[in-house]
Amino acid sequence: MTGKTGAASGALYLHILVLAIVIVSELIGIQRLPIGIGTVIFLPILYAFALGILVNPAIFKASAKFLSRDAVKLSGAMITVAIMPFIAKFGTTVGPQISKIIEAGPALVLQELGNLGTILVAFPVAVFLLKMGREAVGATYSIDREPNLALIADKYGLNSPEGAGAMGVYATGTLIGTFVFAIMPPIVHGLGIFDVRALAMSCGVGSGSMLAACTGGLVAAVPDQKDIILALAAASNILTYATGLYVGMFVALPLTEWLYNKARPSERRAQA
Amino acid sequence: MANQTNTSANYADDLPLNAEDERKIDVVGHAGLLLIACAIGLIANWVGTGTSPLTALPGMATLYVACIVGLALARFVPFYLPGVAWVSLIAILITIPGVPGAAWVSEQVEHLNFLALATPALAYGGLALTASEFTIARRSGWKIVIVAICVMVGTYMGSVVVADLFLRLGQ
Repeated sequence: MTGKTGAASGALYLHILVLAIVIVSELIGIQRLPIGIGTVIFLPILYAFALGILVNPAIFKASAKFLSRDAVKLSGAMITVAIMPFIAKFGTTVGPQISKIIEAGPALVLQELGNLGTILVAFPVAVFLLKMGREAVGATYSIDREPNLALIADKYGLNSPEGAGAMGVYATGTLIGTFVFAIMPPIVHGLGIFDVRALAMSCGVGSGSMLAACTGGLVAAVPDQKDIILALAAASNILTYATGLYVGMFVALPLTEWLYNKARPSERRAQA
Repeated sequence: MANQTNTSANYADDLPLNAEDERKIDVVGHAGLLLIACAIGLIANWVGTGTSPLTALPGMATLYVACIVGLALARFVPFYLPGVAWVSLIAILITIPGVPGAAWVSEQVEHLNFLALATPALAYGGLALTASEFTIARRSGWKIVIVAICVMVGTYMGSVVVADLFLRLGQ
């Protein structure tokens, strides 16, 4: 009975709700909180995400009355659609800076390998400090966004320890990734050690919201370098889109597997 | 109670794993949804920066066309590259100095704040989280939260160190 009209009004409510959240978030605007080692920067995208969670039907039961399961599903589809104009705008910052991008070319390409830093930092913590099992392989081999998660699903299945690890980092990253990527770059910049161009090109990690948070935080901290920050971040993000899956498949995952077998030789013998 | 016996694979049903489905993307259906997203983006830009939607409209219309062309390429080109990668490449191409109209495009999109354009996507993102995702995050426990933070710091700092090194070497 409520079939088609129900779906249509659910979709309408969804877009109106998003519009309201967007207006409130933009009205609050960028806020800065100075702390000892730098400045924590709060961005409208953070409020938008937090407000979205607050009225999410899975959290706030009253929302379920007008936001159907289909509306929530549509919302998921709308993320990829709504991030497109942002990605396009980001691309337009590259063209005018193309000569500076080419100048930074070698650094730009090689920093993609820096994404293996996930293994360097997170693997020892997971295996030696937290004593995690094979979950650690899925959890630490990459930043576990959608393509990386798909690779784990394909290789081990999500119903495996590796799958559980990857999904845990995926879900956690979805919940707090925007926050972490908004506060980290201004603080690292505050250390005064690194070239701002290096900080900018490292923002391209293959996730639209993390890219937005990272560059937003960096531009708020170094506003006079805005053009080059955006251009380098955009270029690096495209490189990650193009190479991320392959680096994961041929380098990061085999490397993590090898490290795990070295770290836990007894488990390997038990398997064989 | 039945939920308790669900395996993590069941929880994964709602996760966005079907990235390759872009090959079967419905470009026409997306054109309508994209129109809604662009309209909300114009309002976000208006509230955030004070730039009237009319002033920003030519820039937004340009981005809209770039998105549609990018999606169509992802759909019809016989090798796999994500739609967002195509959209980026087109946006770069139409702003490279010397390309006809590049100066006009750059001038028009200047009316759009990049961060305001991301706000709608994050609002949808917050609303799109399913009970499964909250459950996975809760069940994974505090160890995964620590590992996830290490993963994010690791990927960022790893790239920063390598990039900084090669920028110095290049000078």
